[in-house]
Amino acid sequence: MSLAKSPWIIHVNVNSCNGCDIEVVACLTPLYDAERFGVLNIGTPKQADIMVVTGSVNYKSVNVLKNIYNQIPDPKVVLAVGACASTGGIFHDCYNVIGGVDQVIPVDAYVPGCCPRPEAILDGVVAALSILEEKKKGNIKGKEVKLKGNEVPSNA
Amino acid sequence: MNNILLAVLVLIGAPIIGCLASGVDRKITARLQGRVGPPLLQPYYDVKKLLSKDNMVVNASQNFYAVVYLVFIILSLLMLVFEQDFLMIIFVYTVASVALIVGGMSTGSPYARVGSSREIMAILSYEPVLILYALAIYLLTGTFKLSALLDKSSPLLMYTPLIFIAMIVVLNIKLKKSPFDYSTSHHGHQELVKGMTTEYSGPGFATIEIAHFYEYVFLTGLIFLFWASNPIIGVLIGIIAYLLVIVIDNITARVYWQWMLKLSWSVLLIISIVNIAFLYVSGAQLA
Amino acid sequence: MIENTVMLLILVPLLFSLLFVALPKSLYKILAWAFFIIGVVLSVTLVLDCLPTGGAGAFDVSESSFPMLENIVLVLEVLVILFILAVSAKYKNWPTLGLGIISAALFAYTYANVPGAEGASFNIDQFSQVMILIVNIVGTAIILFATGYMDIYEEHRHLHRQKTFYFTMSFFLAAMNGLVMVDTLGWLFLFWEITTLCSFVLISYNMDQEGINNGFRALALNLVGGITFSIAIILLSTKFNISTLSGVGTDAAAAAVALPVALLCIAGFAKSAQMPFQSWLLGAMVAPTPVSALLHSSTMVNAGVYLIVKLVPAYANTSLGTAIAVYGSFTFVMCSALALSQRNAKRVLAYSTIANLGLIIASAGIGTPLAVAAAIMLILFHAISKALLFLCTGEIEHTIGSRDIEDMSGLIKKAPLLTTLAALGMVSMLLPPFGVLLTKWVSMEAASSNPVVIVFLILGSALTTVYYAKWLGTILSSSMDKNAVPHKKPETYFPLSFLGLAIVVTSIFVFSIYHYFIEPQVNILLKAVPTISGQAGQFTTEIGAFAYAAIFVVLALAILIYLATKSMFKPRMTSYYMCGENNLERDRLMFRNGLCSYEKSSVSNIYLQNTFGESKLTTLGYAISIILIVIALAGGVL
Repeated sequence: MSLAKSPWIIHVNVNSCNGCDIEVVACLTPLYDAERFGVLNIGTPKQADIMVVTGSVNYKSVNVLKNIYNQIPDPKVVLAVGACASTGGIFHDCYNVIGGVDQVIPVDAYVPGCCPRPEAILDGVVAALSILEEKKKGNIKGKEVKLKGNEVPSNA
Repeated sequence: MNNILLAVLVLIGAPIIGCLASGVDRKITARLQGRVGPPLLQPYYDVKKLLSKDNMVVNASQNFYAVVYLVFIILSLLMLVFEQDFLMIIFVYTVASVALIVGGMSTGSPYARVGSSREIMAILSYEPVLILYALAIYLLTGTFKLSALLDKSSPLLMYTPLIFIAMIVVLNIKLKKSPFDYSTSHHGHQELVKGMTTEYSGPGFATIEIAHFYEYVFLTGLIFLFWASNPIIGVLIGIIAYLLVIVIDNITARVYWQWMLKLSWSVLLIISIVNIAFLYVSGAQLA
Repeated sequence: MIENTVMLLILVPLLFSLLFVALPKSLYKILAWAFFIIGVVLSVTLVLDCLPTGGAGAFDVSESSFPMLENIVLVLEVLVILFILAVSAKYKNWPTLGLGIISAALFAYTYANVPGAEGASFNIDQFSQVMILIVNIVGTAIILFATGYMDIYEEHRHLHRQKTFYFTMSFFLAAMNGLVMVDTLGWLFLFWEITTLCSFVLISYNMDQEGINNGFRALALNLVGGITFSIAIILLSTKFNISTLSGVGTDAAAAAVALPVALLCIAGFAKSAQMPFQSWLLGAMVAPTPVSALLHSSTMVNAGVYLIVKLVPAYANTSLGTAIAVYGSFTFVMCSALALSQRNAKRVLAYSTIANLGLIIASAGIGTPLAVAAAIMLILFHAISKALLFLCTGEIEHTIGSRDIEDMSGLIKKAPLLTTLAALGMVSMLLPPFGVLLTKWVSMEAASSNPVVIVFLILGSALTTVYYAKWLGTILSSSMDKNAVPHKKPETYFPLSFLGLAIVVTSIFVFSIYHYFIEPQVNILLKAVPTISGQAGQFTTEIGAFAYAAIFVVLALAILIYLATKSMFKPRMTSYYMCGENNLERDRLMFRNGLCSYEKSSVSNIYLQNTFGESKLTTLGYAISIILIVIALAGGVL
């Protein structure tokens, strides 16, 4: 029960056009006030429970996503916000886009829309919370996602 | 026997009071921003959640510094309650602050190291004012022991108004609230991605949060001493000071540490020294 | 028999210095261990010898041996002056040559005009015993450290002068032993000048231009002190007929002897590198680290404050005392401010030494029994902590090849024991419950009666916290990019561990040390005892109480709680947050930058060089300190 009363989010943008990001941040404003549920936008992954991801993943940011995912302590859930994060959206067939966050890390809840309303995002957070509680009860640990070398050839 | 009971009461009661104080802080902040805000017990839920998370560390010994921070804050609070030597209490409190700073630096993360460097500059700002406060108590009562101060019948505030003003500013610096929250910030804000405490997670961070609860009570206790002769008014002054800190938090912006250093060494030190000089020259004693 | 122990204390180091020259290098380690054990035994024997006579001993040199010894002293003084003149002429250092000629002239005048003394005496009170313990235990431990250190040092610099090194170090120990035990001013002056000479030889050990220049600077500034010392001796003998140190406080009215006492204090200031004489100690940091540890932090600079504290009966509660207190506290705050801006670890430690000596002088100047007790305790605790810090810095320099604080970042991963001992040294200088902070607390409480002094002490104490916390955090941080090669030798690690243990033990037994050594000493000096009691593990004075035992217990409790709960939460190691750009394949310090190449992240501390830099503050410091010395002298004359 305690986890659901104090979910701290970390907001990661991989390749998003910032539309979904603006909606996520709007959740914390006085109009929608996510803080009444105890939701805080914590900047560091080490103190976060929910990872809110926006954007379709491209090759330059895939290691960033995996890195941050690995640095979040258990139990954790991933919330994919927006059409791009769920499936790649309209950028799905571009040459630099991997297409959807679940191609890279395990996702627990999806919020479709382009861009989804803050009420929908809050709905997604609440759904993710119940999954979080289940993970805590079942002691399910997230596996460390391996970084398979550099996706972009480095100039080093 | 009484002493042990009192110590246990403080050990158990202080974090509860600190937790409620932190909750009140978030509630008032929310109302000032026109929103509903979290429930009053939200800090307690936060700590409970943190204790149930994974203990993720960067450095095998970083949680040791958090434990030292917690233990020494408890010690300084207990010493304050048992009316020990005030100068010694300040030095013990410094151990706690230095432990947190070293803990931040020990992780090696760039954010944590910059946050710790800035917090060291904060020590340079507030420590002279705290020790001048101890000196004022000595000049007015003839001893550094707080037991003498609590026996007097006239309040300290009448003779040390300027030091009181300086202590309110120091309260802001120590609680790491705006405009002085540049080394690590409180919930809802970020500064250097949480600054000193960036790499603390789970139980380690829960230790720091519980220590912060004790610290709220300790710092309010320092303000309480200004009217220790009448405990009710003393507690009232402490609460008013805390509420003032919350309001200042919401109406000011963050400053550079250089600005704070200039403010402290030009304004705060000068007014404290003027107050001390007045006490020397007049030779006043508390009745 | 006390005379025998005294003689042994002076002759045994001389014997060792000759042995170091005569025997081959391979036997040096055995000699150093023997020296350490004999040093400990002799100093403890001296303390035990003084027990039957109520804790202090004094005796006169016997009638039969006095003329011979007096002649030896005279011959040695002439040799010292000749050596100074020769070496300054050889290197064409005209200021030193000029000062040497003035010293020679003063010596000739003294020999001709001042009536010869009829006898000499030794006065071994508790303060001298404390100094003997420090010099012989800490000093020989440092020589032991040197046997493990100097080989690598010479290898790096292509030198072959170890015989000179050990000869001078042991000779210096003999001179130091003599200095703190003798009572006759003329003999004291000889030992004083010998320590100056040893300092010169050891500072210019490298024989490069920088070393020789700094050696001459030390020689010149110490000669200034020597000159004021000679003038004071002349004044005391001719006008007041006083020829012993203990006589200065008792035989004449305080107001009359103020001028010679002020001159003696100036000699003490020069020896302890107070402002404006501090440049010689800063320059002396080019010497090898054992030299810095022995001469320039725990023994030779303590000779200056030893003299000033012994003169307390002459200026306590007078305006001269207040002037000395203000001067000492000014040095404390100014040098703490200067230490803030330094990146070179040895310079930080040098400024810290000067600052703490200023604090000792300030406490002595205040003159109340509590303050004088604080001064003597601080000498003891500071000597041990500073020696440990200097030795650790030397060993760190050999491990990573640099003295810069920024390069020491992350040392704990490469050399854990060394870092723990260095951290213990820094924590002992800075935090309760250790000895240095306890005595700083006593000094502050004692100085509360003087507004200027207490404000300077408060500012200096805040600055001290800053520069040590900065360094402490840096060595305990966990990212290192310098290549570290630890050499683990028993000769280097035994003295470090021994000094660390000594810090903890002396801090725990602080009240017993106070009760046995310091309380009687303050009684001798001021005929009054501070009202300190030590029951229930609290150091209680009339205006405050310090519960050091409680803090020790809590510290141990914190360590136990941490170790007990560590297994409750299984830790999981991961890398730190760099916005996800960590490079985990090659080097954990690197992150991928915007151009897709890898860069190291490095953060340095804040040094505030525009405000606290040497170029900004040194001139101001010189000006104010010279004004304060002139005020002290004027107050003495008038």
